[in-house]
Amino acid sequence: MDSALIPEGVKRCSVGKFLIFLGVVGAVLLWGVFAMLLCWIKGLNQTNMNDYYGFALWIWADLAVIALGGGAFFTGFLRYIIGKDELKNIINYAVLIGFICYSSALLILAIDIGQPLRGWFIFWHANVHSMLTEVAFCLSCYFGVLTIEYLPLILENRQLEKVPFFHHLSHNMHEIMAVFAATGAFLSFFHQGSLGGVSGVLFGRPFGYREGIFIWPWTFFLFTWSAAACGPCFTILITKITEKVTRKKLVKDNVIELLAKISGWMLATYTIAKILDTWYWASVTAPSKGFWVLDFYSNNPFYGPWILVLEIIICGVLPALILITESGRKSKPALLLAVILAAIGVSVNRWVMVLQVMAVPVMPFDSWYMYFPSWQEIATTILPVAYGVILIGLSHRYLPIFPQEKELNPVD
Amino acid sequence: MNKQHNKAKKFGMVIDLDKCTGCGACMVACMAENNVPFKADETNKLDSITWLRVYKLTNGKSFPNADFCYLPRPCMHCEGSHGHSPCVSVCPATATDYSHETGIVSQIYTRCFGCRYCMAACPYHARYFNWWDPVWPEGMEKYLNPNVSVRMRGIVEKCSFCYHRYQLAMEKAYYEGRREIEEQEYQTACTQACPAGAIVFGDLDNPEHAVHELKKNPNAFRLLERLGTNPKVYYISSREWVRQAGDNYLRQEGKSEKN
Amino acid sequence: MKVSRRTFLSIGSFIVGGAAGTALSPLPWKLTDDLSIWTQNWPWTPMPERGEVSYVNSVCTLCPGGCGISVRKVNDRAVKIEGMKGHPVNDGGICILGLSGLQLLYGPTRIKTPLKRVGEKGQGKFKKISWDEALKEVAEKLGTLRSEGKSHTVACVSGSACGTVPQLLKRLLTVYGSPNFMSVPTMQDAYAVTLKLMHGVDACPGFDVENADFILSFGSGIIEGWGSTVRMFKANSAWQDKKIKVVQIESRMSNTAAKAAKWIPARPGSEGVLALGIAYMMLRDGLYKKEVCDSAAGFEDFRKTVSENYAPENIAAATGIEKETIESLAKEFAGAASPLAICGRGQGHTPGSQYEFMAVHALNALAGNINKAGGVFTVPDPKYIAWAEPELDETAQKGMSSPRIDGAGSETYPHAKSLLNRLPPAILSAQGECPVQALLISEANPCYTLSDTQTVKKAFAKIPFVVSFSSYMDETAQYADIILPNHAYLERLEDAPAYAAGLSKPVIGLSKPVVTPQFDTKHTGDAVIALAKALGDKVAAAFPWESYAACLEETLGDKWKSLNEKCFAVVEESIEAPLQFFKQECKPVFAEGDEKQYPFVLMPYDSIRLANGFIGNTPFLTKTVPDTVLRKNDIFVEINPKSAGGDSLSLREGSAVMLTTPKGSAKVRVHLSEEIMPGVIAIPRGLGHTAYDKYLAGKGINCNELIGPAEDSGSGFDAVWGIRAKLSSVSI
Repeated sequence: MDSALIPEGVKRCSVGKFLIFLGVVGAVLLWGVFAMLLCWIKGLNQTNMNDYYGFALWIWADLAVIALGGGAFFTGFLRYIIGKDELKNIINYAVLIGFICYSSALLILAIDIGQPLRGWFIFWHANVHSMLTEVAFCLSCYFGVLTIEYLPLILENRQLEKVPFFHHLSHNMHEIMAVFAATGAFLSFFHQGSLGGVSGVLFGRPFGYREGIFIWPWTFFLFTWSAAACGPCFTILITKITEKVTRKKLVKDNVIELLAKISGWMLATYTIAKILDTWYWASVTAPSKGFWVLDFYSNNPFYGPWILVLEIIICGVLPALILITESGRKSKPALLLAVILAAIGVSVNRWVMVLQVMAVPVMPFDSWYMYFPSWQEIATTILPVAYGVILIGLSHRYLPIFPQEKELNPVD
Repeated sequence: MNKQHNKAKKFGMVIDLDKCTGCGACMVACMAENNVPFKADETNKLDSITWLRVYKLTNGKSFPNADFCYLPRPCMHCEGSHGHSPCVSVCPATATDYSHETGIVSQIYTRCFGCRYCMAACPYHARYFNWWDPVWPEGMEKYLNPNVSVRMRGIVEKCSFCYHRYQLAMEKAYYEGRREIEEQEYQTACTQACPAGAIVFGDLDNPEHAVHELKKNPNAFRLLERLGTNPKVYYISSREWVRQAGDNYLRQEGKSEKN
Repeated sequence: MKVSRRTFLSIGSFIVGGAAGTALSPLPWKLTDDLSIWTQNWPWTPMPERGEVSYVNSVCTLCPGGCGISVRKVNDRAVKIEGMKGHPVNDGGICILGLSGLQLLYGPTRIKTPLKRVGEKGQGKFKKISWDEALKEVAEKLGTLRSEGKSHTVACVSGSACGTVPQLLKRLLTVYGSPNFMSVPTMQDAYAVTLKLMHGVDACPGFDVENADFILSFGSGIIEGWGSTVRMFKANSAWQDKKIKVVQIESRMSNTAAKAAKWIPARPGSEGVLALGIAYMMLRDGLYKKEVCDSAAGFEDFRKTVSENYAPENIAAATGIEKETIESLAKEFAGAASPLAICGRGQGHTPGSQYEFMAVHALNALAGNINKAGGVFTVPDPKYIAWAEPELDETAQKGMSSPRIDGAGSETYPHAKSLLNRLPPAILSAQGECPVQALLISEANPCYTLSDTQTVKKAFAKIPFVVSFSSYMDETAQYADIILPNHAYLERLEDAPAYAAGLSKPVIGLSKPVVTPQFDTKHTGDAVIALAKALGDKVAAAFPWESYAACLEETLGDKWKSLNEKCFAVVEESIEAPLQFFKQECKPVFAEGDEKQYPFVLMPYDSIRLANGFIGNTPFLTKTVPDTVLRKNDIFVEINPKSAGGDSLSLREGSAVMLTTPKGSAKVRVHLSEEIMPGVIAIPRGLGHTAYDKYLAGKGINCNELIGPAEDSGSGFDAVWGIRAKLSSVSI
C-alpha cells in the first residue's frame, strides 16, 4: 500500500505489521503525552521531585540523552572534518539518533521547567554566567543543525526526491554538510562541556564542585570527551538493535569496528582523565571542604562506593579495554557488551552528577533523602523513547538511512 | 532621589542560638508577612515552603548526655566573593540578583521560569519551589499583605530579608528628606517577632549597628564557611558542639579543634 | 483521492509559505509575550489589594498571658499581627500563636451565624437560624426549667473565671438560681489552693522571674508556653545574658531542658518527692531562712515529717537521681540570693497534684523568698469588677442553696472553686434524669481538653440542652443544641485581665475590635444581657446595662479612659501573706494502671507549636510542627531507643505500633529519641482534633483519649500527668 514511499531495492515488512508496531509504541507514546499534559496543566506537583531534588529523573534523562546523542556530532566530526570516509555508512543513523536525542532533551526541558510558557526568558533575559544559558543556546542551535542534517535525509524519500526542488536542495545540502558538521561539533564541544559545568561550578555542593583546572577545562573536557566516547557506542548499540529487530545486516563490520576502535580510545583516555579528576577531587577538593570521599557514599541506603566501581571500572575501564583490542572489537558479544557498558557508564555518570549531587547532605545536620520518580515522571521519560522508536521506524521504512543495506541485503 | 550617593550597605543577621527557644515564631512571622501559602498537609518538609526554617541540631550523644539546639535558617544572602553567591551566578534568566547596594539576594518571581538550578546550587536549602498553586481557604486571602506579591505555581521563592520593608523605610526617609535610614527603621519580620530577642538585624558594615559588634563575638560562626559562600547570617553559641555542627570537619580536624 | 503533484506542491507551498509568513509577522511574538504575561497574572493567584495602612493596638486573648498586640491594617483588612512595643508584658515580642491569629479571624472554622442542631448530638449537623430565634429558644428553655424549679440543673462552663464576660455569665446563673458556674482549671487553680493553705490568702502566684538568680523548675515549660509566654521567653533570654542558672527537672528533654544550664531527668511523677528531698537537706544543713521559717505555724511538724520520710537514700531511689546531685542541687538553691522554685507541668494547662505544688512552694518558703524581689508574690485579685449585689428572688435563692453538681466548696473539696473534671462523672453516675438539664459553654472546649474525652463526650450527649458561645466549630460546639457564636477575638471589645498568668504585677488589658465583625455573630456579653432581659423580672433587673459595651465602660470606671488609650493598666496591689506549713496530708498522684501489664509510662508533653487549649491550632502553626511529631496524619510518640528493643518489639524510627493504656488504644508511630528517659513514652498534646477544618482535623490523636482523670486527694482537681501504657506490634 505504501510501497511507493519505500526506498527502492529494499524489503520492508507489511503495512499491517508496521501499523501494529506503530499502534503498540504509539500507545506508550500517548501514555507519556497524557503524563506530560498532567504536568503542564496541574503543575510539577505531579512529580516526586521536591525542594531537595529540584533536579531529578528528567534532568538526568536530559543529560544522558545528550551524551548518548553525542554520536551525531562526533561521527560527523570524524566523517567530515577528520575524513574517515567509511563512516558515511553510519552517519545518517547517527544523525537520526542525535536528532531524536536532542529533540527529546528539549521536550523534557519544556516539561521540567515550572513555567514552560516563560521558557524563552532563558534567551531573552539570558545570564551569560550561567551554565544553563550556555547549554540552552548551544543546545537549541545544535538542534537546528541536527534538523538541517536530518532534512536532506527526509528529502531523499523516493517520492519527495521526485520533486526537482527537493532533489536539488537535498543534493546541495549534502555538499555543504561539512560546514554543518563542523558547526555541530563546535556547538557540541560547548554545550557538552557546559553540561559538565552545571554541577562542576556549584561551589555550594562539594560533591559536584571541581576546583581550578579541574573545573575548566577538565570537567568541561570530561563531559565532551565522554559524550564523544559513549555517543558513538550508543549509535553502534542502536544499530545493532535495529539489525536485530529488522533481522538483517545494515552496516558493514569494518564501519562498526572503525567507530568502535575510535570510541575505545576515546573511552580509554576519558577514563584515565576521569580517574585523575576523581583522585584529585577525593584527595584535595572534598577534604578542603570537610568531607572524606566516603562521606559521600555512606549513611544512606543507596549511594555506596559501588557506584564508583560501576561507573569507572566496569563501565569505563572494561569497555575501553574491549574496544581498543582488535579481538575485543571483532568478537560480536564482546563488542555488544562493551557498547552497552559504555552507554550505561555515561548514564551512571550523568545520574551521579545530577542526582547524587542533590542527595548528598551538605549541612552537617541535614539528612540524606531518597527519591523515586512518580509514574508521571517515568511516563514522560519513556515518552521520548517511544517517540524515538517511532521516528526510527518511520525513517527506516521510508528513508534510505543505511546506504549499505541494499548491498548487504539484495532483494531477489 | 540619587541612590549613588548612598553608602553601600551589607545587611545581615546575628542569631543567638543560646537564646533561640525553637518556638517557631520567626517562621510564622515570616509566613504571615510574606504571604507564604500553606497546604492541608505540610508534614512533608521536602515540599513545604518555609523561607525561614528552624532546624533541630542534636549532639548525637545518648541519654542522659543528649543535647539539642535549634538553628533558624533564613536565606544566608551569600556574598561569595564579590557578590558571586552560589545561586545568583547560575540563574539562566537573571531572575535572582545580588544587590551591591544592600547585600540582599533578590528573587524576581515574574522572571523566574522554574528551572530550579538555583536550588541545586544552594547548600542551605533556603530556596523553595512552588510545586502547587497557592490556595487560601475562602475569606482567608483577606489577610494577604499587599507589599509582597503572591507567588504563582512553578517558580522559586526564598527569604528576601523583607526587602519590601527596606523599600518602605527608604521611601519614608526620602519623603522626609533623609538619605539614610536608622537601624530600627528597617527590621525583618522575624527579627521583630522573635519573643526571645535572639535575632539581631542590621548593616554588618555599619559600626553603629548592633550586628557590627555581635558578629565579632568569639562564639560567632557562620554555616558552611569552608565552602566559600561567605554568608551574611552569623550564629552565636556558647556550646562547642553547636559551633562544630555549623560546618563539615574531617574527623581528625574535629579532634584537633577540640583539644 | 489521488493527489497530483501540482496540487501537492501548491498545498505544500501554501503551508510552508503560510508558516513562514506567520513566523515573520508580529503575531507569534505577541502571543508568546502575552502568554508569559498571563502566567505572571494568573487570575487564580490572588493579588492583595493596596490601600491605606493603619495600626490598631489591642490585647491578644488567645491565652491568658495578656500580651499587647499591634495589628496592621490595609483599608478594612487586618494583614498582620505584631507585638505591641512598650507593653509591660511583651514589649514588642509575640508568640507563634498570636502571630497567626488572623488565620482564626478569617479562617474556615469560624461559625458564621447562630445555629440549631439538626443531626444527632456530636454529629456536627446544624441549620442556620436568626439571632432572634436562637435567643428566644434559649430563653424559653431556661425559663421553662426555672418555672419547673430546676434552675439548679443549669450549669455554665467558662474558659476562665476572670473578666467581665465570665462574671456576667456567673451573675446570670446566680440570679437565675444555679450555683453551677465552672471554669476550666489550670495550674493557677492548684497554686491558688496552695497559697490559701500556706498563707491563708485568696491570691494568685506572681513569679518575679526578672529578678530571680537561680531557677529550679519542676517540669515547667518555661519556654514552652508556661505562664505568660512572651514574658517568660524574655526572662529566659535575660537569664542567658546574666548567666543565671536554670535547672530543669523533667523526664523528657523539653526545649526548656535543652536551654537550661542543667537538665536532671527525674522519674515522672516524683517531682514532689524530689522537692521535699531538697527540703530535707536544707533543713538538715540549716540552709533555710530561719528568721522566716522558725516562727511559722506548723514548721516543726513540717520539719519532723520531712526529716522522717525524705532522707536522701529514699529520694534517690524514688526519683532515679543520684544522691550527690540532689545534695548539690539543694546547696545551689539555698546558696542563691534569690532562688525561685516553680512547678506546673509544661504549659501548666492542667492543675498538678497539691502535694507537689505545696512541696515546691515549701522550697520557696524555706528560701525565704515569698513576697520578695526575685521570689513568689501573692497577687490579690485586681477587684475592678464591683457590680451591685444582685437581688435574688425566691427561685434563685432556692437554687443557689442547692449543692454544686461538681462538689466544689463542699466538705470533701473545701478549697476548689470549681471542679470541671467532676462534671462528666456526676452526669454519668446520676440515676434517672440528667442532673444537668442545660449547659452554657463559653470559651472552653471540654470535649477535647478534659481527660478521657470519650467519657466527657458521653456525658455531654446526655445533657438535654447545650448552648455554645463558641466562635469556632470545635469539638464541644459540635455537641451543642444551639450555638450563639461570639465575635472572634479581634472583632470584640472586652477586658482581658492578665491576672492568672504568673505576672508579679497583674495587668488589666483592654481588647479592642480591630476589624468589624465579619459574620452574623454577637458578643457573648450582649447575648448574656439579652438572655437575662428575656428571662425578665429580677433576672433582668440584675442586668441594667443597655449593652455589653456600656456595662464594660461602667465597670472600668475611671480606668476606662486610660485603658482605651493604652490598652493596659498595671495594678499595684499587695497582700499580707503570713507563712504556715502544711496543715493537711497530701499524697502524690500516681499513674493509673498496673505496672506489670503496662511497662511504660505515657506522658503528654506540650509544645509551643501546638495550641492545645480552647483555641485550635492554626494552619501556620501546624505547618511548623516537625515531621518527627506528625507525618501525614500519623502522630509520633517519643521513646528512648533502649526501650524500643525489648520483648517482641524491635522498633525502628517511624515504626507503627499500638499504644494501649487502661483508657484506650491508638495506632501511633515511634520517634526514637535520646532525649527521653527509658521507660517513658511522650505524646504531644494538641493533635487529634475531630472538629475544625482540613488543616487540623484528623491529624494524629488526642492524648486525652488515652489518659483518664486522676483526682487529687487534696484539691479534687484532675492532677493527672500520665498513665501506664504498653506497646504492641501492629500491622500497617
